[in-house]
Amino acid sequence: MKKDTSYSLLYKIKRFKRDINQWSIATLAIVFIIAFPVITIFLKLFSGPGETWDHIVATLLPEYTKTSIALIIGCSVFTLIFGVSTAWIVSRYDFPGRKMLEWLLILPLAIPSYITAYAYVGVFDYGGTLELLMESVNITLPKIDIMNTYGLIFVLSFSLYPYVYVSARAVFLHQAGNLIEASKLLGAGELKTFFKVVFPLARPAIIGGLILVLMEVLNDYGAAKYYGVSTFTVGIFRSWFSLEEPDTAVYLSAILIVIIFGLIVLERFQRRKKKYHNASKSNRPLCRKNSKGVQKIGLICWVGIPVFIGFLIPVAQLLYWAVLTYTDVFSVAFFYTALQSLGIAILSAVITVIIALKLIYFTRWNKIKQINLVAKMSTLGYAIPGAVIAVGVMIPTLFIDKWLYRVLREAFSWEVGLLINGTIIGLIYAYAVRFLAVAYSPIEGSVSKVGEGISESSMMLGAGRWRTFFSIDIPLIKKGMWSAVLLVFVDIMKELPLTLILKPYGVTTLAVKAYEYASDEMIAEAALPSLCVILTGILPVIFLNRLITK
Amino acid sequence: MRYLIIAFALLVISCKNEKSQKAETPEQKEKVNEVNVYTHRHYESDQKLFALFEKETGIKVNVVNASADELIQKMTAEGEQSPADVLITVDAGRLVRAKQKGLLQGVESQMLEINIPEHLRDKDNHWFSLTKRARVIVYAKDRVKPEALSTYENLTEDAWKKKVLIRSSNNIYNQSLLASMIAHKGEEEATKWAKGIVDNMARTPKGNDRDQVKAVVAGEADVAIVNTYYIGKLLNSKNPEEVTAGEGVGIFFPNQSERGAHINVSGAGIAKYAPNKENGIKFIEFLSSPAAQKVFADSNYEYPVNASVPASDLLQSWGTFKEDVLPLSALGENNKKAVLIFDTVGWK
Repeated sequence: MKKDTSYSLLYKIKRFKRDINQWSIATLAIVFIIAFPVITIFLKLFSGPGETWDHIVATLLPEYTKTSIALIIGCSVFTLIFGVSTAWIVSRYDFPGRKMLEWLLILPLAIPSYITAYAYVGVFDYGGTLELLMESVNITLPKIDIMNTYGLIFVLSFSLYPYVYVSARAVFLHQAGNLIEASKLLGAGELKTFFKVVFPLARPAIIGGLILVLMEVLNDYGAAKYYGVSTFTVGIFRSWFSLEEPDTAVYLSAILIVIIFGLIVLERFQRRKKKYHNASKSNRPLCRKNSKGVQKIGLICWVGIPVFIGFLIPVAQLLYWAVLTYTDVFSVAFFYTALQSLGIAILSAVITVIIALKLIYFTRWNKIKQINLVAKMSTLGYAIPGAVIAVGVMIPTLFIDKWLYRVLREAFSWEVGLLINGTIIGLIYAYAVRFLAVAYSPIEGSVSKVGEGISESSMMLGAGRWRTFFSIDIPLIKKGMWSAVLLVFVDIMKELPLTLILKPYGVTTLAVKAYEYASDEMIAEAALPSLCVILTGILPVIFLNRLITK
Repeated sequence: MRYLIIAFALLVISCKNEKSQKAETPEQKEKVNEVNVYTHRHYESDQKLFALFEKETGIKVNVVNASADELIQKMTAEGEQSPADVLITVDAGRLVRAKQKGLLQGVESQMLEINIPEHLRDKDNHWFSLTKRARVIVYAKDRVKPEALSTYENLTEDAWKKKVLIRSSNNIYNQSLLASMIAHKGEEEATKWAKGIVDNMARTPKGNDRDQVKAVVAGEADVAIVNTYYIGKLLNSKNPEEVTAGEGVGIFFPNQSERGAHINVSGAGIAKYAPNKENGIKFIEFLSSPAAQKVFADSNYEYPVNASVPASDLLQSWGTFKEDVLPLSALGENNKKAVLIFDTVGWK
């Protein structure tokens, strides 16, 4: 018996030695670099929580848990209802204005949710836009208080549902065609077809989108803080900065990570071993049905709701504020800020996507399948609040910086400052850590849809790994890649806490500018930079839409 | 592989660029002639002042904006390599914290000692106040007679049940207000006060100071505790509704027959490892000068700390008041206790 185990252990080692190749090593290296901040935070867990941990458990933790769960449930329900139904309607039915609504539905993604939150206060406020409008037609509405948990669910849901919409629609458009026809031929009605065929088919994509939503929800800081809702992230900032206990903050983040991890496991579990790429060769796109009469109006109205609430109303409010304040805000420096913002976001997005691509393909090329699981770890950064990532990045890189400083001084008597911290390198590194998951999902999606057959054939015909990669794989997954670049780009344009902490001298992004105004209680002045963030977000969103529908 | 090499080369080049900016010998650093400012303040008036300073002295001002807490964490992490020369916060408590963590250093400057009254600077000259604001009670002009008001403590009376508004305890101004109470009356009394305010709150805390004022004017409550300069901002807002809100409230300076109204300050200190210490001192001296103080006073509705500079007309119209001269270091020393008390009494 004993001999057996040692034999099998020996065998395992031998097999491991045989299977290890440059791709395994490269994968592990990337994972290590990306996961380093997360590991840093994780290691800090062992140093124990700060001294106020007990106090927080007793006084605040129940509240944090309650509100976070309420947000998870509330936002799941709303984003699923609006995300899936609108995706289905625009994929399945034809009605006037459909083409425009199709991309309008994605646009809320371009607005940072804290900006939407501010805008809605402007709408529902005392003397706010709604009150003024109602006064002009002589109606007195009861005051609608939006600054509470319900309001936060409302705001977050309508600014984040596009994650669900985008993922659901991609499946509906490209994969459902044949199956729907089959289902119809077999006599199933419209509703039955949807619930029995279309929805289960799209479920992994929808859940994938939903998880992105929930991560954003749990990471939100600006909106929750302003609305006076105590969430985990608000608690993390509070114990970190107000109570000065990073260790306690790390404990809170750990709980948050456990929640997110639970969600991911749940998703994997429900997906299990099913493969969702459609093997049939003639993958016919879905034929749209013409709608008529009342149905037409109903569909337009329903699809219009999220567009209005998530995009048009906040933008209108911001435009109104911008008109009031643009003379104060607009300047040459403002242009410069906009350019900087764009440059940083594009560069970081491209780098992040390259890392994601490598991670996905390297794991495929290596032979040790356990590494796939490890690779997944590096996408955990998205689950961690930006501020925590920032510090997770700062601790190890400062260590490296200081080491470099010493070495360079002793060896070459160079007096260099910090090379990573407070430079663009540190910032981009942190963005990559945070947003790798955003790049990972769409690329992974298209890679798994393509399957391995074609690249295997290519390699069998004698093309090398890289040649196959560049001339076969890349063209096939181009759509996924572009979506990844654009999603990361938009996210970086909106990103706030991490940027605030790690940005170098003289670098200001539009999001930071907007936040500065808002935190100085000049919310109207924040409108112009916010509108610019939105504008730069809109163009890629339209482009993204072209890609999906093409 | 080719692409990998190209990508890597690009990365190296981008690193190189950073290096060439950063790799300076100490002598070169002097030549750059700059001052690195970590600041929590980001008003347009500050930008104006920085530009003015650059023009007058030829010293380039580099700014990093973030909240004071985040900047303190950043400086702690950077340690001796920190490029920061000057730390500016909007609250004395944070300056005290920075001092306690050994992030600041004392400086000799006669000009600062003349320009800034003693109770508004650190006893070891680790930091200096630049502007003042009072945390006052505002009341709905149409419903409340100012005679009914007296002290912060008075707001916990039953007469004010469901009539008081104040923002979240995450807010540093509230933390400092409670810290001052702990310093004056001890933890027990301070806890009682916080509990009393929570009982009298018209709603759970939310929004910012301006939102509290708007809600008072709309009738959701009768009084609110806010900073003076926000009233100035409301009255000068581009949004007509905000002006109406500002006009709807009266300003009451509490505790005038005893310790005085609680004040807080924006202030600055020289970083412990400041690479451009002299420039940093010049910079703070400039900000305390009458010319700069006038900019602070006129465009941001804050009270100047330099006694030779009068407050703006608007501020003068609110009248003079007795201010709490508690050494501001007490705000920092009692900050953590204050935060814990807020949690205990359920002040969200």
